[in-house]
Amino acid sequence: MSARNSTTWNLEWVSKARVNTQAVLKRAQQVQGRKVAKKQWQAAWLLKAVTCIDLTTLSGDDTPSNVHRLCMKASQPVRRDLLKNMDMHDKGITTAAVCVYPSRVADAVKSLKAANSSLPVASVATGFPAGQTPLKTRLDEVRMAVQDGATEIDIVINRTLALTGQWAALYDEVRQFREVCGEAHMKTILAVGELGTFTNVYKASLVSMMAGSDFIKTSTGKESVNATYPVAIVMVRAIRDYYLRTGHKVGFKPAGGIRTAQEALVWLVLMKEELGDDWLTPTLFRLGASSLLADIERQIYHYVTGCYAAYYELPMA
Amino acid sequence: MASVASKTVYDIFQSMEYGASASTTATAARTWLEQHSQSLGLFVDGGFVRPVDRQTLRVTDSTGESHNSCSMICICAKEEDVSACGVSASAGFKAWSELSAHRRAKVLLRLANTLQRYSQCMSELCVLSECPCSSSALVRLAHYYAGWAQLRDTLMPNWTPRGVVAIVVSADCQFYSIWLKVLPALAMGNAVIVVPGVKMAAPALLLAQVFMEAGLPAGVLNVVTGDCALVARVAQSIHTSYLTFCGSKQDGELLAKQLAGWGVPTSLSLSVSAVCPFIIFESADIDSAVDGVIEAAFKKNKDWQWVLCVQESMWDSVVGRLKLRMTGMKCVPLASEAHRSLVETAVQQAVQQGATLIQSCPPPSTGGLYPPTVLCGLAPPCSAVTTPPPGPLLPLLSFRSVVEGVTLGNHSPHGQAASIWTEDLTLALETARSLKVGSVWVNSHSVTDPSLPQSGRRDSGNCTNGGKEGLYQFLCPSLTPRMPRSTPRSLDYSAFGTAASTFMVPEGFDPSSVPRSCSQFIGGKLCKADSGCIRVVSSPGGAVLAYCADGGRKDIRNAVEAALKVQPGWLRKSSAARAQSLYALADSLDKRRRDMAASIQAQTGISMDEANEEVELSISRLSDWAARCDKQSGVVPPLPQTGSAFLIPEALGVVGIVLPDTRPLLCLVSLLGAAVAMGNAVIMVPSEKHPLPAIDFIQILQVSDIPGGVVSIITGGRDQLTQALANHSEIQAIWYWGSVEGCQFLQYTCCSPLKRMWLHCEEEVDEEGGRYWTHPSPSFEEEMWREAVVWKSVWIPTA
Repeated sequence: MSARNSTTWNLEWVSKARVNTQAVLKRAQQVQGRKVAKKQWQAAWLLKAVTCIDLTTLSGDDTPSNVHRLCMKASQPVRRDLLKNMDMHDKGITTAAVCVYPSRVADAVKSLKAANSSLPVASVATGFPAGQTPLKTRLDEVRMAVQDGATEIDIVINRTLALTGQWAALYDEVRQFREVCGEAHMKTILAVGELGTFTNVYKASLVSMMAGSDFIKTSTGKESVNATYPVAIVMVRAIRDYYLRTGHKVGFKPAGGIRTAQEALVWLVLMKEELGDDWLTPTLFRLGASSLLADIERQIYHYVTGCYAAYYELPMA
Repeated sequence: MASVASKTVYDIFQSMEYGASASTTATAARTWLEQHSQSLGLFVDGGFVRPVDRQTLRVTDSTGESHNSCSMICICAKEEDVSACGVSASAGFKAWSELSAHRRAKVLLRLANTLQRYSQCMSELCVLSECPCSSSALVRLAHYYAGWAQLRDTLMPNWTPRGVVAIVVSADCQFYSIWLKVLPALAMGNAVIVVPGVKMAAPALLLAQVFMEAGLPAGVLNVVTGDCALVARVAQSIHTSYLTFCGSKQDGELLAKQLAGWGVPTSLSLSVSAVCPFIIFESADIDSAVDGVIEAAFKKNKDWQWVLCVQESMWDSVVGRLKLRMTGMKCVPLASEAHRSLVETAVQQAVQQGATLIQSCPPPSTGGLYPPTVLCGLAPPCSAVTTPPPGPLLPLLSFRSVVEGVTLGNHSPHGQAASIWTEDLTLALETARSLKVGSVWVNSHSVTDPSLPQSGRRDSGNCTNGGKEGLYQFLCPSLTPRMPRSTPRSLDYSAFGTAASTFMVPEGFDPSSVPRSCSQFIGGKLCKADSGCIRVVSSPGGAVLAYCADGGRKDIRNAVEAALKVQPGWLRKSSAARAQSLYALADSLDKRRRDMAASIQAQTGISMDEANEEVELSISRLSDWAARCDKQSGVVPPLPQTGSAFLIPEALGVVGIVLPDTRPLLCLVSLLGAAVAMGNAVIMVPSEKHPLPAIDFIQILQVSDIPGGVVSIITGGRDQLTQALANHSEIQAIWYWGSVEGCQFLQYTCCSPLKRMWLHCEEEVDEEGGRYWTHPSPSFEEEMWREAVVWKSVWIPTA
């Protein structure tokens, strides 16, 4: 990774942000109308989606055994015979990472090591999902996840600061998270469902990027409203704005409620339309999902065989 | 083709291309065309007719591939076809207009249903003909106007349909614009002859067939195709009582000139050649604005041309985003290969004048394709700004302040539409009010709905389409005398109104009563004619009543200057304040009623009782207009989409009025009241024969609190002054009562620059002694105030 992203605090930039809700909604509809061609195009795009997935389990009942299964699925996301048929078996198709709670990081690292996989482990942190714990414990949480071997940290922002307009304070907090992340990649979850307006989403995106986030991420998956296309358009526009001003490319990760292959395609289209092809790689685009992979695999099965698979025909996660 | 098919999953995985979208087979449309053996006839009297040995026109479909091309053949209608069509349309009109409003509405409702059934075939045929149109938009149009058809007699009881209406739409228009005129015309009970551009003949013919299936009586809708000469033939047909045209400025001008003197009222929508400002203010959501302009400016079938105006402080962000968003955009197909050289010349010229280009890719060496191109840093005089060629070009200009932005937007002969981008509500509304265009979209562009009328200003047209306002072009007040049909007289247009008047010393000079010398009234001051000449005002008996100024073009010019200065202020006054001024004017007239009656009597020779009655009516008429000042308001139309829209009647600006001979005072105050109440300034030319009451009215104007310049009265030769009014571009409208030649002259002259015209031929002897003015129909004043305003629709997307 070249010089890592960070910028000094710039209040003027944040306060000038303006977003027109209706125009964004219209743009979102246009993006959804842009179609990818069928057959091999669709298969290729779906495989690309697979390589961008942060395969996730974030449940109270996670144990070493289901985390292990998740890791194995992440390293072989699509049945090998299907890949072979498309001549993609030797192209290193894996998901982008696995994503777990801090306490499960050690389990995931162990499973992947055992399977000789170099797949990164991402950990949510900082009082996920609400972020309503003291700053000290949130910082400690990041430290411990990094110590346990997580190379990517998904932090959540403090919504209280965002909603009360304390953008400078938010900048400071995120900055501190970034420091304790050290070498680990930091993805900042904005929890857009709780920010109220698109303008707030835009501002929170800018603040998070200035404070050094490598990615900005829509939601925890635990709010009532998750990753929607309009909100994503607002965030990727902030990314574009940031890129135009600083030259840093910050990544984008929608998460929460993404379940079908069709949706995955729309997400890729959205990135391509708004940010261009550069953002169509796992270094700049991730999809946070758990059940999405199963649907994509079924679609690929259909492309290869011409039949629709039963879920039990494909390996479970 | 082969290389595309052989792309492997891995290739695409790396390149992440979209892949070509599957081309449509257009089975339904092809089947329909085959039923007609690819050769489309005319649609006359409820069915297809294919007269033999006519010239034909070949229309090739958009796929252009030889192996499956399905070119269509259209027939060029001949003289006898046009007259057959006219006869069938008149018969159709009779049947259609005699139906009850409810029955007509039912047909239109059924049309909406039938259209839904044909929607697949319809849209395929539109795509083949390269005039894409969503059938849901047509269905909405049918539903909307079915409502007006139902309500015509209830809501517009004193209006009658015009008769046989010719609707001419040139090939470069949207297919939708045909039906935006046809449906209101039918809803009001007219019969229609459509002359579509050759390109869209096929879908237009299909739609005519759909109308018949919906139960439209035979002859009510006819479609004839052919070359340029056809349009004039249709218009000149004795059955045609109104013509409306949609297309480019050049075509419209040509047509208007051809029709001068035929006595066919004509209106033009010249949206095709309109250049519209796309204004991005500092306070805008820049990303959305840039997305908007890219969508608007670089699509294949553009509604109109855009010029991007950006506030200087946002220049870099806009240019940066344009560059980023445009990378990788594909080349846009041009309408024809010929356009390619137009585009290239324009780009070259712009570059020579120092413009820099933002292009998505270098232009391909040949062929009818061109990449989306932004021309940055152009100056307004560059021809790419004033007359951009058809193609994916977008001139980019900058402005410093909000005020300058509006000025830049208004500094154009066009007045179709504007798109403005700002998150500041006050700025948005103020800008929307100050732009001199028919449609303003705030934070959006090109939104259309039948309930929002589109009306052009300046060179973009003199007619309103859509909404309730769009119905009135197809109606006339029940008791109004119609413009008589005529054949053009041979007229030297350049010589019209240029004959110098000669002052003759009247014979029988009577030293006991020296006639007074009267001035004209310009900019609130009494003044002599610029030429210094005078005319004699004589009584019906031939006695000299007075000498009046013999005004000419310089006087008109001075009056326009004065009017332009005060009109904006007059408009800014609250409508209540305008009402008070007009009430005061009525009051002053009341106080001088005896003098005015005497003046009328002396001038026209009618009895004193009649003269008194005329004054009485005039006072009441003025009070009517005073009362209407703050009652004629816009509307907030309910819309099917989310959003807020409103529709405002706005003043035209400066109106030139050539007054009739009959009822000289009553006409004067009726027309003055209508124009001034709505916020216009007027330049009035009193009747050449009966100017005295108007001259005496000047004294009443002088003491009124209507600002000097809002009303000017210029006496003189009618033809001379008409010519001067016609040749002043600042005059937005001319209301004319006068000779057949005058009407012909105005029709010929006022199409470039375009004016709104309300023409009346007074040549026939007025048997009823001005009954039209003294006993007006209930729709009399409505017609007048509708003539005195232009409509502006403002659309703001909201939740």
